[in-house]
Amino acid sequence: MDIKNVLLIVRKEAGESIKNRWFLLYTICFSLLALLVLFLASSRSEIAGYSGFGKTAASLINLVLLFVPLIALVTGAISISSERENGTLSYLLSHPITKSEIFVGKFIGTLIPIWFSISLGFGLAGVGVAIGGGEGDVSKYITTAFLSALLAASLLSIGLLVSVYSKRASKSIGIAVFLWLLFIILGDLGIMGTTVAMGLGIEQVFALALLNPAEVFKIASVLALSPRFEILGPVGIYAVRTFGKEGVFYLLFGIMLLWTLIPLGYAYLAFTRFRKEEI
Amino acid sequence: MIKVKDVTKRFGNITAVDRACFSLNAGESLALLGVNGAGKSTLIKCVLGILDYSGEITLNGLNIKENEKEAKSLAGYVPQEPLFYDMRTRDVLGFFGSIRRVRSSRVDEVLDLVGLREHERKSTSELSGGMRQRLSFAIALLSDPEVLILDEPTSNLDAGARGDFLNLIKEYKNKGKTVLFSSHRLDEVDLLADRALFMESGKVVFEGRPENLQELLGLKININLVVPQGSVERAIGILAREGFHNAESNGRGLNIETDSKQRVDVLKKLLQEEIPISDFKIQEPSMENIIDRIKENGY
Repeated sequence: MDIKNVLLIVRKEAGESIKNRWFLLYTICFSLLALLVLFLASSRSEIAGYSGFGKTAASLINLVLLFVPLIALVTGAISISSERENGTLSYLLSHPITKSEIFVGKFIGTLIPIWFSISLGFGLAGVGVAIGGGEGDVSKYITTAFLSALLAASLLSIGLLVSVYSKRASKSIGIAVFLWLLFIILGDLGIMGTTVAMGLGIEQVFALALLNPAEVFKIASVLALSPRFEILGPVGIYAVRTFGKEGVFYLLFGIMLLWTLIPLGYAYLAFTRFRKEEI
Repeated sequence: MIKVKDVTKRFGNITAVDRACFSLNAGESLALLGVNGAGKSTLIKCVLGILDYSGEITLNGLNIKENEKEAKSLAGYVPQEPLFYDMRTRDVLGFFGSIRRVRSSRVDEVLDLVGLREHERKSTSELSGGMRQRLSFAIALLSDPEVLILDEPTSNLDAGARGDFLNLIKEYKNKGKTVLFSSHRLDEVDLLADRALFMESGKVVFEGRPENLQELLGLKININLVVPQGSVERAIGILAREGFHNAESNGRGLNIETDSKQRVDVLKKLLQEEIPISDFKIQEPSMENIIDRIKENGY
């Protein structure tokens, strides 16, 4: 793999994202809402045991859960399908560049702008906390930002997998939005419904939660921030008692990594090996 | 330079290219002809290594599957419809120039070569169809490749832009470069090709030299002349006397069916006899006619 070609694609993809008005709108909204969250969080001295950086990070978790998966899934889902649909992928492949280089370049090139917008949101809110006195553990705040970046990577990988298997951008966007609804909106309801309907045990409920990368992010972030893991409910208590607080965190971190690497690896193989017919 | 041996390409149950074979020597120009869906574009995409296929394709001895990058570096490609990222003209050339590892001054050279210098700061979406095709040609020329591969390059151009573009290809060919192109126009084949290869339903059905193609297949062209009604009968008589017996009135003037080589003679004779021709149109044989004739003759 030629790194120079990969970097060319990275630059092209990142440049296109930055020029994309939807992406700009997303970045501005995320940053403004992060500042709003900071403002609301600072109006109360303590929320559920959090204060300063911890309080702001805890408030940002829901914002991340709403915004980051949507932009990551949709960006990933259109990255290959749109180029396939309009023919630029085929034209690009007539030049001395391989599918592997294009794939890796696209992943990195679309991930960097998403990471930039996450960093901007967390950065602005973080500066706000620091100006206001900077109470709390800044490392926990950074951990939450890092987990948000990992969540973006995992959902971008899933989006890319959708993209590799879609001939049309409209179809891939539809699937991406459906997955977002499934992971974010229906995720909790699904777990609750399945638990009630099938009478699942606590360990099965925990295992079920691991099937949703957004749920894994949520639990990992709360565990990273909270001195009181009981706020996660019986499932959290079970997990911490079984694996230990650090053990659960690393387990969840590992699962988020798997949620990134498995779809990404499969999408890579599908794009470069299994689906040579689909240009 | 290019060797295609038993190349087959299937999309599900559809065989787009069926055991195609041909070779193209350095400095030679080959036209792929056929109706839409004959497999020309698919075969070109196989030669470029864009599509997977069974069989063997080599460019300058390099197997396109085994030496993907090296083989692709040898060829410049002009697609049927130019497709670019939404960048400035100059940036598009810079992007593909970087992939092809050409020096940055080469961008200026090709901009001048195709006459796009004054449009270098325009976004590709602001360029006209002719300019986009010239940009596509400029990209293909960036690395000064030994082989130029063009897929119906003039199909989306108007007459003026088409003429300009064909001249650019002709200049490139005259430098001794190898050209492989697909077309459904015989006049382009006459102008550019040393050899022509006809495809139908993915198969190569005929190969010949353009200069004797029409003669070999007995193909006729149709000349439509607009002349005043009072001169039609006299014109038909003059043509009959000169051996052009397939001339008839069409309401606005007359139609003459003749060999392609005699098109100028027809016009010359009528003008010498002072027949007032106000307009004329020449209809080349359609690709369907040619394929039918190939089948009839059992080539």
